[in-house]
Amino acid sequence: MRAIIEAQGLTKVYRRGREEIFALKGVDFVAFPGEFVSIIGPSGSGKTALLNLLGCLDAPTTGGLQLGGVETSGLRERDLVRLRRENIGFVFQQFYLMPTLTARENIELPLLFSRKNGNRGQIDDILEMVGLGDRGDHLPGQLSGGEMQRVAIARAMVNDPGIILADEPTGNLDSATSEMIYKLFSELNHQGLTLIVVTHNLDLARKAQKMYTLRDGQIVGCEERTRPQR
Amino acid sequence: MNFFTLAAKNLLRRRGRTLLTVLGVAIAISVLFSLLALNSGYEKELNREMNSMGVHLLAVPKGCPYEAASLIIHGGVIPKYLSARDLTNVSSIQDVELATPMLMHQFMKKDENTGKSTPHIIYGINMAEMLRLKPWWKVEGRYFADNETGVMLVGRDLAEKENLSLGQVLPAGPMRESVTIVGILERTGDQDDQFHFFPLAEAQRVFGKEGKITTIAVKVRDLSRISAVSEEMEKVPDIQVVTMTQVMGTIMNLAGSARSLLLTVIAIALIISAFGIINTLLMSVNERTREFGMMKAIGALGTDIGKMVLAETVLITLSGGMLGTVAALVGSRVIEGFVKGMLPYSPRGSFISFSPELVVFALAFSVVLGLVCGIYPAFKSSRLTPMEAIRSGLE
Repeated sequence: MRAIIEAQGLTKVYRRGREEIFALKGVDFVAFPGEFVSIIGPSGSGKTALLNLLGCLDAPTTGGLQLGGVETSGLRERDLVRLRRENIGFVFQQFYLMPTLTARENIELPLLFSRKNGNRGQIDDILEMVGLGDRGDHLPGQLSGGEMQRVAIARAMVNDPGIILADEPTGNLDSATSEMIYKLFSELNHQGLTLIVVTHNLDLARKAQKMYTLRDGQIVGCEERTRPQR
Repeated sequence: MNFFTLAAKNLLRRRGRTLLTVLGVAIAISVLFSLLALNSGYEKELNREMNSMGVHLLAVPKGCPYEAASLIIHGGVIPKYLSARDLTNVSSIQDVELATPMLMHQFMKKDENTGKSTPHIIYGINMAEMLRLKPWWKVEGRYFADNETGVMLVGRDLAEKENLSLGQVLPAGPMRESVTIVGILERTGDQDDQFHFFPLAEAQRVFGKEGKITTIAVKVRDLSRISAVSEEMEKVPDIQVVTMTQVMGTIMNLAGSARSLLLTVIAIALIISAFGIINTLLMSVNERTREFGMMKAIGALGTDIGKMVLAETVLITLSGGMLGTVAALVGSRVIEGFVKGMLPYSPRGSFISFSPELVVFALAFSVVLGLVCGIYPAFKSSRLTPMEAIRSGLE
């Protein structure tokens, strides 16, 4: 099967004054369509840096990345935005919902940027899918942490991407809510969505089909297991 | 949802800050709007007042500066006089259709109730000639004949203010002679509404100024001949000629310095308000870098973010512009009162003239102000790369 996202020899160097910080040192990564991949590692191991490179939010210092078969190095910012818009949905630890927009409007936001007209029915379906059918008109301040993260997941889904990249999606949630979020991810994955999740939560990470372990900017382990039966 | 609703909702997040910025813009726009209204209205009203005199040229005693000419228009009195010979000389100039003599006299009248003295102006005129200069005059009662004694006409405003009625007898002059009101002029909307009018000879007699006149008002047969007539008049000894254009020019000059002071105040107010807007926007852009990073991650282009910031600025300045315009419309009387106190000469009518074009200009100006102020913050926010934005927010 052809990889949906593939990276070879990714290196990322940040400069702080004269100091050079190697966030990633020659990382190879591959994910296939419909796969659930987790990335774990201690703080500072380069997990988020890898996720940002995979999502084209940042450019590697060296190395190559193919997204849906397209080589991303050398692409202009405008083309990267388009590629990201069509292929990737992001979920952040801090949710990053706009506080003055309702859940429904937050979900519509990517459509505004991609100049698509979202119809009410489409947003209602997504709200139903994440279990927030009756909370669409609530502001983020009126929602619980778990509900806010579900709105963020719905927002990531609205452009119908093939891949969801999630950075510590349960980092701000209690264990019961984390379990609910995992279930939601699991359902989306069963519907064919590729999931790449960076997490500290080993229980969540072990539920993935493939688990990369990062330490000091390098992949030190890659466990593969068969997809758990529903 | 579109960029404008998104921008409006963003602004509502910091209501207090947004409101203060809008108020700052509103004050600046309101002052600007009032001054522009004043500028066009002042000239218009002054022109109207000059035209309503029906006079093209004024002959005043030599040594009487233009400023004094403006005093004459307003009913001031100058302690210099022309003679009947001067009148004959002026009348004989070719192309002079009419040269009519006038005597002005001022006296102070004490109000019995308040004890305050107010100046009253008496014009000694030749009625038949005056009616040729001001054919629009209408009277309640009757006009006087030039050889009548003990009669006068009063302006409408004066009559109302002093509670004067037809047939009423008033004492006049040092001998407190009885003078009867035979006519009340219908409202003209200019200075004439404020004056007492006597037959010229009677005014000269009552006030002890026999044979003396203060000014000669000249009507020219052909408007294109004004300067030629003016040159001829200058040749008459003792006479200085003042054209209405000169009077207007002098008044406009005098008012000009007050207006440039006001303009400076406005320019400073606008600059302060512009910096206030830029500062507010930069603050809000810096606070939201992480959010902009998220927007880029979910598909926004740099230009989308810039557009949103620009829309926020324009919304602020446009609301400020609308508020300022409404405030200026509502508070125009107060502003006019303030400005009238500052100007050396003010036409009697309202001279703040609001036009739809002016409203459009004020609103367009506020939009331009927004665009100018928003450019740098918008550019700054649009240049952030998503990772920079997200990282800077996390630090």
